[in-house]
Amino acid sequence: MGIAACSLAFVLGGVILVSAPASAQQKVLTVGAATFPSSLQTGVASFTSESLILQTYDPLVMRDNEGNFVPALAESWESKSDTVWRFHLRKGVKWHDGKEFTAEDVKFTIDRVIDPQTAYGYLGRIGQVNGATVVDPYTVDISTKAVFPILSKGLADIAIEAKHYYDEVGVEVPKRKPMGTGPFIAVNWVPGDRYELTANKNYWRGAPKVDKLVIRQIPEAATRIAALISGEVQIIEEVPVDVIAEIESSKRARVISIPTSAAMVLTYDTRRPPFDNPKVREALDYAVDKEVIRNEILKGKGEILQGQLLTARTFGYNPNVKARPFDPAKAKQLLKEANFDFSKPVAIMTQSGKYLSDVDISNAVAGMLRNVDIQANVSVVESAVYLKQWSALEMGPIYMVGWYSLNDADFATIWYTEGAKRSVWKNAEYEKLFVEARSTNDQATRDKAYQRMMEIMHAENPSMFLFGIPSVYAASNKVKNFGAAADKILRLEAVSID
Amino acid sequence: MLKFTLRRLAYVPVSLLFVSAVLFTVLRLTGNPIDTYLDINRTDEQVAALTKRLHLDQSLPVQFLIYLKDVLSGDFGQSLQFGEPAIHVVLERAGASIQLVTAALLIAAIIGILAGMACAVFKDKLPDFLISTLAVAAQSMPSFWLGILLIQFFAVQLRWLPTSGRGGWENLVLPAFTLAAYLLPNIILITRTSMLETLREQFVVTAIAKGLSGRQVLFRHALPNALNPIISFIGLQIGRLMGGAIITETIFAWPGIGRLMIGSIFQRDVPVVIAGVLIVSVVIVVANLAVDILLSINDPRIRLD
Repeated sequence: MGIAACSLAFVLGGVILVSAPASAQQKVLTVGAATFPSSLQTGVASFTSESLILQTYDPLVMRDNEGNFVPALAESWESKSDTVWRFHLRKGVKWHDGKEFTAEDVKFTIDRVIDPQTAYGYLGRIGQVNGATVVDPYTVDISTKAVFPILSKGLADIAIEAKHYYDEVGVEVPKRKPMGTGPFIAVNWVPGDRYELTANKNYWRGAPKVDKLVIRQIPEAATRIAALISGEVQIIEEVPVDVIAEIESSKRARVISIPTSAAMVLTYDTRRPPFDNPKVREALDYAVDKEVIRNEILKGKGEILQGQLLTARTFGYNPNVKARPFDPAKAKQLLKEANFDFSKPVAIMTQSGKYLSDVDISNAVAGMLRNVDIQANVSVVESAVYLKQWSALEMGPIYMVGWYSLNDADFATIWYTEGAKRSVWKNAEYEKLFVEARSTNDQATRDKAYQRMMEIMHAENPSMFLFGIPSVYAASNKVKNFGAAADKILRLEAVSID
Repeated sequence: MLKFTLRRLAYVPVSLLFVSAVLFTVLRLTGNPIDTYLDINRTDEQVAALTKRLHLDQSLPVQFLIYLKDVLSGDFGQSLQFGEPAIHVVLERAGASIQLVTAALLIAAIIGILAGMACAVFKDKLPDFLISTLAVAAQSMPSFWLGILLIQFFAVQLRWLPTSGRGGWENLVLPAFTLAAYLLPNIILITRTSMLETLREQFVVTAIAKGLSGRQVLFRHALPNALNPIISFIGLQIGRLMGGAIITETIFAWPGIGRLMIGSIFQRDVPVVIAGVLIVSVVIVVANLAVDILLSINDPRIRLD
């Protein structure tokens, strides 16, 4: 290596030329992303995919960085009956090719999404929809199979696509060259490397403040940070919490974070001993010092879940339910009452890198459980193995999972119902309340039902509720108006560079 | 020559068939592409449609035969995650890998051979001691550490080179040197040993006795005779680096085949994994052939038939 470095210095010293920026006037914003989707096809159910998709497309209703729902391609909407919603579309919105956006495009998109052959990953967001009807060019009715109170929220993940574009180019071209109504226009997509876009000067919310946008995939966090500090990129995603100090001490960039709606929990196999015993589950909740984990591992970012699945800003959150305090003595006493032999090891299954500091947090929890004489250890598995075991509902005694509620309790609470086949805990009242909340468009009734469900979860502990995971970005000091997004979707049209 | 080439090529389909069968079975048994592709919000209809499309309702041997039938007709299958033909996905990345590996091998070969020769010439003297020590030190240096060190120094401190990504030649320098550093120690040590042996040969003594200059003796007479073990070593590394430079590709965000394959294995994207193995195999076969031809040109005593 010594030779390599010396020769490198020698070669570079002689011939190095730093390439000049292509054009001094052009403002180029470059973002370093941790992960890239494989393609630009719509409906791939991941936030990394949706983050790129929504650079070129708009949904009917959109979330802002804080997770509030605001009108996008639909200006307003109202229910016509329990199962029909009427959406009034924004007039004068143009596709990137200059043609006008109309209700036909909405109908085309909805039909495409609900066709099982499309394998649209986000279909579940609007799972109850059974079709759309064009009323006039700027009005569309969307009908649902049953009452579906979360329709407008679910639509935030459905990118509206252009009927005429699919008619012209077929279904393959848009996967590489998407054409939408969004703030940026796709120019060049190189899988695994970069996505280049140019500003849509006619964007209906106002033209972006930069001329060009380049989103680069830089999988290694250390390289991402180096690229930010060297000025190659101006914004980076997924900043590991242990390097926050390093970035801030560079004086060239700052860290921006926001709590997400994702709840990190450890779920128990409640079918089998010892976790079929509610007392044992409660004991474990007392045994883990969440405050210490948050301060030491998450460096104070994110929030401690208050003894319930929902994060504090989510619709349905119950402010009266509080997290149990750290009390190992009480934990030991409850375990003694449960009278189970804990000498056998208990595995905590987790993926590595799926959620922020997942393995570190699992290890910390295991260590704290060992302090109350539970022989806990951590088993790290690869994602496909994890998913396969999950589908079979055989995850072992404890496993780590994150549930996004996207600011409505429905999205997360469903995973504890029997029908969803994602957890093994059963509770008749919880089931009843879930159906009740889903069968009405009355928000007050829904809120009440969810709050009661949170009380049940707190009493029953189907999972150990740990943290609302933070979403951590870093931006160069030259960047203005960039905000961290609770749903991890890059919103860049307002961002400017000095 | 032709007979030799054909014989070498005949092994390729057999080993590919074996490797494909193993990969197919292992990937299918350890994960379900439906789980990795469809959101947990999926509907039963979607699962049914995708199960049918991927023939997951058939037994594993039948699934493999269906896949094999498509491959024989030139269709390597559609990648589920990329939504396009698997072979296209792989070929797009192959260029980046070939570029990186070629640059790294060139750097390693030039520096390694020169340094190895210096060691041989100055055997047991200071240059030999210094270079050999550095070579051993380099061998124990992991590439993720060296890569990040180079980025910090040349990209962050000096700002001479970009940190990462694929673009012009300046993007190639750091990853190529990182990868080369991994090969260098071996090339230096092989060259040193081989040169030392050659320098003891009669013809070298004769050449010196004839009054040829030191440079002529070294480069015209000794080096060609010492070169074969080095060519063989470099040839072997090509295949290893094509799909195996994952750490370097990850650190430098280089869109090569290694990263693609790892991602596809995690996604259980069988068509891409098998197409990737195929392309890497083709490169290995071509590289081995080239090595054999080079060896025979350099040493006509090696006959290829």
